[in-house]
Formats: sequence, C-alpha cells, structure tokens
Amino acid sequence: MATGLSAIFLNNRPALLRFLRARGAGDESEDLLQDMWMKLEEKDLGPIADPLPYLYRMANNLMLDRYRSATRRERREQDWAEGAGGVMADPSEDIAVDERLVLNERLEEARAVLRSLGPRVEMVFRRFRLEGVGQRLIAEELGVSLTTVEKDLQKAYRAMIALKQKLDTE
Amino acid sequence: MNGAKAMMNEEALGWVIRTRDPEFADWEAFTAWLEADPAHAPAYDALMAADADLVRIIPAEPVVIAAPANDAGTRGWRWPRSLIGGGAVAAALVATLSIGMWNRSDIYTVTTRPGETRTVALDEGTHIELNGGTTMRFDRHDARFAALDSGEAAFTVRHDPADPFRVTVGNALFEDAGTVFNIVRTGTATRIGVSEGEVIYNPKAEAIALPAGRALTDDENGLRVMDIATDAVASWRQGRLSYANAPVTQISADIARSLGVRLTATPGAGAMRFTGTIRLDRDPARFFGQAAPLMGLSAVREGDGWLLKEGDGPPR
Repeated sequence: MATGLSAIFLNNRPALLRFLRARGAGDESEDLLQDMWMKLEEKDLGPIADPLPYLYRMANNLMLDRYRSATRRERREQDWAEGAGGVMADPSEDIAVDERLVLNERLEEARAVLRSLGPRVEMVFRRFRLEGVGQRLIAEELGVSLTTVEKDLQKAYRAMIALKQKLDTE
Repeated sequence: MNGAKAMMNEEALGWVIRTRDPEFADWEAFTAWLEADPAHAPAYDALMAADADLVRIIPAEPVVIAAPANDAGTRGWRWPRSLIGGGAVAAALVATLSIGMWNRSDIYTVTTRPGETRTVALDEGTHIELNGGTTMRFDRHDARFAALDSGEAAFTVRHDPADPFRVTVGNALFEDAGTVFNIVRTGTATRIGVSEGEVIYNPKAEAIALPAGRALTDDENGLRVMDIATDAVASWRQGRLSYANAPVTQISADIARSLGVRLTATPGAGAMRFTGTIRLDRDPARFFGQAAPLMGLSAVREGDGWLLKEGDGPPR
C-alpha cells in the first residue's frame, strides 16, 4: 500500500468515521473502517490522484454493497416464504423466451422515455450514466453550462427512476 | 407522497447525481446533509439502488434504429460531430464498472443478447448493425476499426482510400473498399458476404478481393470463395435469412442468434443442406411450424429450446 494513502487514511480517520455514521453504519462504523484498512493493505495501489475523495468513495461503496446485499437477502427470504424457490436469476445468460420478450418491451419503453426528453437530455444522460463521463466534461463537449447539464441529468433521472418504479410494480 | 418527503427525495437525487460524478470531491457537504436527518441515508441508498438497476433498462445504443424489419430510422437524430467515434456506447462495460471506480480504456465492448439487435454508428456514413448474440469491440479513438469476436454484424462503411476501414475476425483481417458487407463468426469459422463495393480479405497475406455478390467462408474445411445473391447479404435486417446450399448447422446457428432461441440439430439434420429464404418470426412455435418443413425437417420443443430433426412427421 502506498504510504501516502495510509497516512491520509490515518489523518482523516475521524472524518471517515463521521461519514460512515452519517451514512447509517451505526455501531458497525469502526468495523467498516477496519475492513477498509485491510483492503487498502491487501491491494498494492499505485499513486492515487485524489486520495481523500478516493477513500470517501470507497467507504460509500462499502455502504452501497451492504444495502444491496441486505435488500437482496430480504427479497430472497420473501421468495422462499412465498414458495417461489430461492434462485436468483442471472440476467446475463440464457434467459427464457418470455423473460426476454419482457426485457425487450422494457428496453422499448425506456427508449421511448429517453427519446421523449429530447436529444440533448438523452445524450447527457447516456454520457454520464452509461459511459461514466463527468458533468464538467460533458458541459465542455456540448458547449453548454454546467447548470444545464445538471438540470438535464435531473430531468432524465427523474423520468428513468419513475419508469423503473412503474416497471417494478407491473 | 407528502411535500417534505418529496423534497427529501429531490435532494437525495441531487446527491446521487453528484456522488456518481467521477470528479465529485465535496464529501464533507454530503456528510453534513446526511447528518441533518437520519432519513436521508436510506433515501439516498434507495435511489442509488434504483440507479444501479437502470443499466438493465437503458437501451445501450448511441444513435437510433432498433433495426428490426421495416424501421428505416427516419426519426433518427445525429450526434454532434465531436462525440462521434469518441462517444459511442460502452454498453457491455457498464455492468462491470463499480460505482466511482471507472477504468476507462480506448477499447470498449458492445454485446447483444440473443434476439436483440443494436446499431453502432462510428462516424458519418459508417454504421454497424449487430445481430443477436454478438460481441464486438471498438476503439474510442479510431472510428475505422472494429473487431467481431462472435456473432453476426452488417457493416455499412464510408470508403476512404487513405484510411480504409478494417475489421478483425479471429486472426483474419477484412479491409473495405467502399462497402456494405456482413460477417458471421461462430467458434473458429468465419463467413463474409459482400453486397456493395468490395472487401479485401487479409490484404497483407492472401489478399483475396471480394466484390459485391461474392462470399468467403473460412472454417475447418479451409478457405472457400463462392457467389452470393447481394440481397441475401445481411437479410436478417429485413427479417429473413437467405441461403444457397448452406448446411443446416449454419442455418440453425443463424436462427438461434436472430430469434434468441436455443436451437440444436440432430447430426442427421445438421448435415443436410438448404437453399431458399426463411422468414423470421418472433413467435418460435409459429416460426418453426413454417421454417422446419421448408427445410425438409421437423422441429420439436426440447427443454427450454428447440431441436431440429429429420423427417416431417408429427412431433413425438
């Protein structure tokens, strides 16, 4: 592990702890920090441009993983309770024909929603969400203000999350 | 939803977008927002989870054209020039990216599921239509390059003698000379058909010129060049498959890819050959009911897929 990163970790331990507590980790915050420390020790990370944001992001990802596995467990338990078996479908391979048709329908619907937002909003959203390009860069590419990009993204996200919720309840 | 909750969700969405930005650095402000109300963290988590699921419903194509049968793409709008090439999709990459840990490289992969088609525009006048079950790689910084790893794609290429378009397929290289062509890659076998212009196969080695109306097959039987009807090239885009004396093994692979069904052929059926045109149909039962007799075969359901076998007797 790069000594720079460990020094930064130690210097910012209180702030990271505070972040994890605010993120809802509660009593487990200390343990999570310990996990982070172990991960940093295991990996031989090269120099990192912005070490502190990197550490925060790592902590945030830990919390997201925790949330995801908790909801997945909940869903699985529910499936079992309902006698639906407990097998999680792997979306990547060999999905049944019916499911594929449903998936294609959903893609069509999402396509229509994205298109209805207008070309710029759709493009901004794709650049940001699918390709991981930052807002500042997108604004530069398009020659628009950062605020415009932010507003476009909010608009697209609102529409897409609303669509997702609609599909989930179908 | 009451006003306060709606307001909180709006704020949470703002933080989802901000923290998802690779350049985000103001974690202290985010901490302060989270500390302001214990309900903030769960709201943020729920929206982040929804965000993570979005990749499954976003159709990952840079331009338009769902490209089935009669979609002429008339509603198409163009991407600004500055984004073409650099800004095509990184569809398949997305799923493997963990939040915030972007690992960008110049090469990106586009994958279609069986039965799904997708169009990738590389520059003005050059686009590639991917049939189902296809994996291709592209280069963000070189719009004149593509690699077909498996599956089938139709290429419409703007010709530039100074900078020819190249497709690598396995160890083979195809170079365009002003062209519309179709390539299929299954296992280690490659088939190409040319419907307009000309393609050069392995320009530095065999250098076989394939003008419109010619096809080339490279499989375990070696390299063969034959005639092909130009309207049969990439006819999957029009919802049909056309063959001249093609083995059923090849045809069943094409069907599986185009319709997204699992399809096998008995050895006897697979060895048979077929000449003619098969109309694709999204309903597998209806499709096989028409297509199998056309090939002198019968099709039966087998598990979650279909089996092609000899004889046209009723399914047992």
